[in-house]
Amino acid sequence: MSRVLGRIFIASLARRRLATALSLFAIALGVALGLAVQIIHAAALDEFGRGMRLLAGEADLQVAGSREGFDDALYGPLAMREEVADASPVVELEVRLPSHGRSLPLFGIDALRAAHVHPALMPQATEPGREGAALAWLQPDALFLSPAAQAELGVAVGDRLDVVAAARVVSLHVAGGVPGARQGRALAVMDIAAAQQLFGRVGRITRIDLSLKEGLDVAAARDALAAGLPPGVEVLTPSAAEELAAGLSRAYRVNLTMLATIALVTGGFLVFSTQFLAVARRRQEFAFLRALGLDRGSLMRGLLVEGAVVGLAGGLLGIVLGHGIAVVAFAVAGGDLGAGYFSALSPALRFDPVASGAYLLLGVLAGLAGAWQPAREAWHMLPALALKSGDEAAMFRFRAHPRSASACLAGAAALCLLPSLGGVPVFGYLAVALILVGAVLVLPILVRGFARIASLLRRPLWRLANARLAAAPGQGVVAGAGVVASVALAVAMAIMVASFRDSVDRWLTAVLPADLYVSASPQGTSGFLDPAVLGRIAALPGVSRTMPLRFDTLRLDDRRLPVVLIARPLDGGKLLPLVGLATPPAAGEMPAWVSEAMADLFAVATGDALVLPLGGKSVTFRVAGVWRDYARQQGAVAIELADYRAVTGDLVANDVGVLLAEGASFDTVAAAVRDIVGENTVRIASPGEIRARSLAIFDRTFLVTYAMEAVAVLIGLFGVSTSFAVLAIARRKEFGMLRHLGMTRREVGRLITLEGVLTAAAGTALGLAAGTAIAVVLIEVVNRQSFHWSMDLTLPIGGLLAFAVTVIALAGIAARVSGYQAMRGTAVMAVREDW
Amino acid sequence: MLEIDDLSKGLGAAVARVLFEGLSLCVRRGECVAVMGESGVGKSTLLNCIAGLEPVDGGSIRLDGTELVGLDDDALAGLRRRSFGFVFQAFHILPHLDVAQNVALPLWLLDADDVEADRRARAMLERVGLLDRAGAWPRELSGGELQRVAIARALVHRPSLVLADEPTGNLDPGRAAGVLDLLLECIRDAGAMGILVTHSRAAALRADRILRLTTGGLAPDGERT
Amino acid sequence: MDWRCFAHALAFAVCGVLAVPAADAAPDYPPVLPGATLRFPADGGAHPDYRTEWWYVTGWITDDRGVERGFQVTFFRVRTGIGEDNPSRFAPRQLVLAHAAIADPAVGRLLHAERSERELEPLAGAETGATGVWIRDWQLAWGQDHYRSRVDAGSFAFDLRFDPSGPPVLNGDKGFSQKAPDPKHASHYYSRPQLVVSGSLRVDGNTVPVKGRAWLDHEWSSELLPEGARGWDWIGINLHDGGSLMAFRMRDERGGSMWSAGTLRAAGGAVRALQREQVALTPQRRWRSPRTGAEYAVEWVIDIDGRRLELRPLMDDQELDSRRSTGAVYWEGAVRLFESGREIGRGYLEMTGYAERLRM
Repeated sequence: MSRVLGRIFIASLARRRLATALSLFAIALGVALGLAVQIIHAAALDEFGRGMRLLAGEADLQVAGSREGFDDALYGPLAMREEVADASPVVELEVRLPSHGRSLPLFGIDALRAAHVHPALMPQATEPGREGAALAWLQPDALFLSPAAQAELGVAVGDRLDVVAAARVVSLHVAGGVPGARQGRALAVMDIAAAQQLFGRVGRITRIDLSLKEGLDVAAARDALAAGLPPGVEVLTPSAAEELAAGLSRAYRVNLTMLATIALVTGGFLVFSTQFLAVARRRQEFAFLRALGLDRGSLMRGLLVEGAVVGLAGGLLGIVLGHGIAVVAFAVAGGDLGAGYFSALSPALRFDPVASGAYLLLGVLAGLAGAWQPAREAWHMLPALALKSGDEAAMFRFRAHPRSASACLAGAAALCLLPSLGGVPVFGYLAVALILVGAVLVLPILVRGFARIASLLRRPLWRLANARLAAAPGQGVVAGAGVVASVALAVAMAIMVASFRDSVDRWLTAVLPADLYVSASPQGTSGFLDPAVLGRIAALPGVSRTMPLRFDTLRLDDRRLPVVLIARPLDGGKLLPLVGLATPPAAGEMPAWVSEAMADLFAVATGDALVLPLGGKSVTFRVAGVWRDYARQQGAVAIELADYRAVTGDLVANDVGVLLAEGASFDTVAAAVRDIVGENTVRIASPGEIRARSLAIFDRTFLVTYAMEAVAVLIGLFGVSTSFAVLAIARRKEFGMLRHLGMTRREVGRLITLEGVLTAAAGTALGLAAGTAIAVVLIEVVNRQSFHWSMDLTLPIGGLLAFAVTVIALAGIAARVSGYQAMRGTAVMAVREDW
Repeated sequence: MLEIDDLSKGLGAAVARVLFEGLSLCVRRGECVAVMGESGVGKSTLLNCIAGLEPVDGGSIRLDGTELVGLDDDALAGLRRRSFGFVFQAFHILPHLDVAQNVALPLWLLDADDVEADRRARAMLERVGLLDRAGAWPRELSGGELQRVAIARALVHRPSLVLADEPTGNLDPGRAAGVLDLLLECIRDAGAMGILVTHSRAAALRADRILRLTTGGLAPDGERT
Repeated sequence: MDWRCFAHALAFAVCGVLAVPAADAAPDYPPVLPGATLRFPADGGAHPDYRTEWWYVTGWITDDRGVERGFQVTFFRVRTGIGEDNPSRFAPRQLVLAHAAIADPAVGRLLHAERSERELEPLAGAETGATGVWIRDWQLAWGQDHYRSRVDAGSFAFDLRFDPSGPPVLNGDKGFSQKAPDPKHASHYYSRPQLVVSGSLRVDGNTVPVKGRAWLDHEWSSELLPEGARGWDWIGINLHDGGSLMAFRMRDERGGSMWSAGTLRAAGGAVRALQREQVALTPQRRWRSPRTGAEYAVEWVIDIDGRRLELRPLMDDQELDSRRSTGAVYWEGAVRLFESGREIGRGYLEMTGYAERLRM
């Protein structure tokens, strides 16, 4: 039977090379995109995890607190605990390098301890010939750079490197390397005491890594150690820390994977179209084979194998393409596809057999799924009838399924009400799938409706088109399914991205109320503005008000990432982009405003009491409102700077926003600020610049989404053109008959174009509607559940209309071109369509 | 030996129309029977029923003692593979297989080994005088040649029953006689049975017996006897 | 004994890349001058102003089945001169390092382990006022009338009590011990010979009671290895008659003796400082380390003021090779002292600077 499979079924693919190639390519694209996302993220996550493990070293547990750290008096008693074999204190900083315009992770470590717990961070004084300059790793100005940092910064051992410490530039001596740091990891190491003193962190450390005595139960030891820690300091296992961090990008990753899957589904639709038409065309052949004794099971299997072969070939091509895309994407956008989750990582790309295998399987499944319905159709075929020609029209007598369509849409609506599973909006994605299926089921009704409108024009061409579409709505489904799917996807993404961008734009305006921003540590923690500097800035002529900002992170529990603490003047919440109702707290209570993400993740609402670990104490705040925050997915809480200072006694600031007095010039004040703090220690920006920069990052993030959109539309158009090409060829006899009846070649061409336009119009209209519905699901369910932020729906109507018109016009052209080819004998031979 | 007893078959469900009723027929090995009748009387349907491609309403069909009526689709397909040969008016030569492959097709379905299938296909092509065209593509052949290929294909797996539906319907009369003679000769040589549906009297006259199909059943053709 | 331990200390600390703080950053280390009076137990404690200091206990112990082993435990304190103005609790002003080893003939080589920490309560420190130095659970401390030392290195552990059988023995000129022709190369140095050992030892997972005799050296100084010195050879021997002998020589690049000295305490308690010309250490049989290729004299002839003594090791391989961890390579082992073929004492021999020059 295998010969029959090979020579009858698979060989048939070779006969319709164009259609097969297009389906294959569609599947390849779906597989490639999905796999590329997978590979890139796997590599980035792998690298990220490796980085975390490198830094965690041999540690069994990590004691961690906020970004600003916790009291280093905890270290001694912890290190002496009987459970602990070795303990290593770490001060982690992101140190700004003014002359390089970038920052570098810096680890202040105790080299004597690090040797036991994380040998990878061991500094090595490699400077030759400086006898008498030993204990180099303890020197207060000695900095050790990993090979990658030396290479990236162009700095060698023995050179000096400028860093920003507070609002000063300090020159450090590169005393050696960090040979244990993994290839590609740029980092710096210095003595913990020197780091504390230099960066104004005496008395505070950010982490203690612990390795436990052998044979201890890690969980029990963890609980025992955690019991005595002050609020805001937690004991984590390194793997949990890694998972927390990886979880942050998971939603983004799942989103991209889902988009790739939808591309794959579109590819499946295309296989369906071409297989369906092929089966229709080969009906007589199948009937004959059945007469010859081929059983229906073998016939169906043969057709499924055809689909699977397309899927397999597409999958294999997709694997190659996917790795190619990953390489290019790495080079262009970085390991996080531009989303900023894994900046400063340069992961190595490797062949991933598991992911490749899984996506190959998905490709085969898409091929099989596409071939399933046509194969069933062939299974049900009555050979005695099919032996007579003209029977294939029966295949196109699709029934509309209004009931199934309504069920799908109702199901989608119901799914939207369900919560996420493990932080992944599974039901949201299912709803998206159901909307797509429902739309395809509605398509025959709509095509018939469109044809009926067309028939109102009592012109022979329109009547013919109407008759054809009314008699064989299946043709519309076959040709239009791909259009619906791809247009819906493209429209959904366009609406979502437009809404998102619009909301981000408005949000940026709301969160940047000042006229001028002085930032001492835009991304790092090594710089800050002390009260003296703040006072001098406030006293500058032309400054009407200053709003110092203090950032920190707060570890509220050991199951989630720390939330970001923002302390700044908020004018009772007026300076925040609040959503929903805000209630001012009672007198004597300190207000806190939580971001939407924090409200979701920690289940806090306006009016609730919120206990924050500030300065090693538990301090109770009252939630006065919820604000929109697109910047911090792990959650953020804003409090009044005055409250923060009162509780912690910490008077420094990371940034300061400056409101200019009437008539004061930005440049004059900026220059005056630079005079106070020095040229290279701070960044001074206008809200406009910050906004432009943020939106540029936003656009970069969605670059991949745009690419996927383009691919989806491309696949949809492939679908239209292949369907019409095959249909036109199948209907050659009909066209020939029409020409015998006196229609001109041009008129036949117009008829085909008309049918194409009507079908595409129905498909596009449905795609627009379905796309809008999907966009709403994406915005209200998927984004809300993945990232915990809301946005306002924005419909880019002009763009969508232009897009719709383009798709319809292209479909018309595709139909016209394929019809023209069908009427040219040589063209028929060229595509090697038989009969 | 093919024995058909009391076979009946109607058409349609809503407006039922009886095609034939109480039809009986017996064909022996080496015998070729021609069935004639008006258009629409059900000649092709009779062949389909015998081949198990269409269900019957009643009666029995036994091929070499095996009852066909009531067998399931797969069993019928298996039986067709092994014991039936078909010749169609429209040839149904697969365009993407060459001549020898088309002839070998029934053997492939029987899982014969490739070399053996090719050998037997070529032997059969030699028998129908087309060995020199074995490697040709169907589109390079004339109608008469195509039907000779179809005859070779119908007999290559040594079926016990060959069903031919207007085998010369698409051929000009000059070629028709030769092709038909070849078909009948091959059937007789193989010791098979043949049922030939035609409305060409000239064609029918070459068979061993001529039967006329009417609603009542099969009756010997008066003009011949 | 002398600079040897300081060199080790730094070697432990900086993984073989040995040097001292840059000259411009050097704090005011007090010089070691003759004429100072050592008081006890106060001078048994740390002298944190001096650059370097160590407490060094070696000895022979016998378990309840009569198996004889050597042991060594050393604590070093180093004032780095770094971070003296740094308010951080991690400021590395003082480092504490420790080294422990067991010489077991059944093993055939040394079991050893090291620890090093910056001084930081409660992890590591060196107390003033009386001997008390520790790195987490490793410690050496004076309590009332005896020393106690506990070490757990995983593969071996001991908890030993040392009871002095006499007052401290001041080496050199009342505890002022010159190391080189230039008198600025000197240390404050006293020894506690004939310590009676009791306690327990764990090797191979078995804890056994042990008894024996030990020797404690305590020395502090501010100076570096003299110019032109490559290493040294040192012995500290508890004589069976109740007396004790300490002798050392400083070796130059060619292996010649550039300085030597010693202290001989008679059984009755009379202490004699041996001058340079009264002490001669002459290498005899040599043994080459299969690990490092360094060649050590494992047997010696020692001439002390006209007496000819012979030194033989408990076993040949007592080389301490910690290149994989801290990088120091030297020979530190249990030895027997013979006179006219008769064993007259047991103690420890140390040979440094054979694998490479101790870099300072």
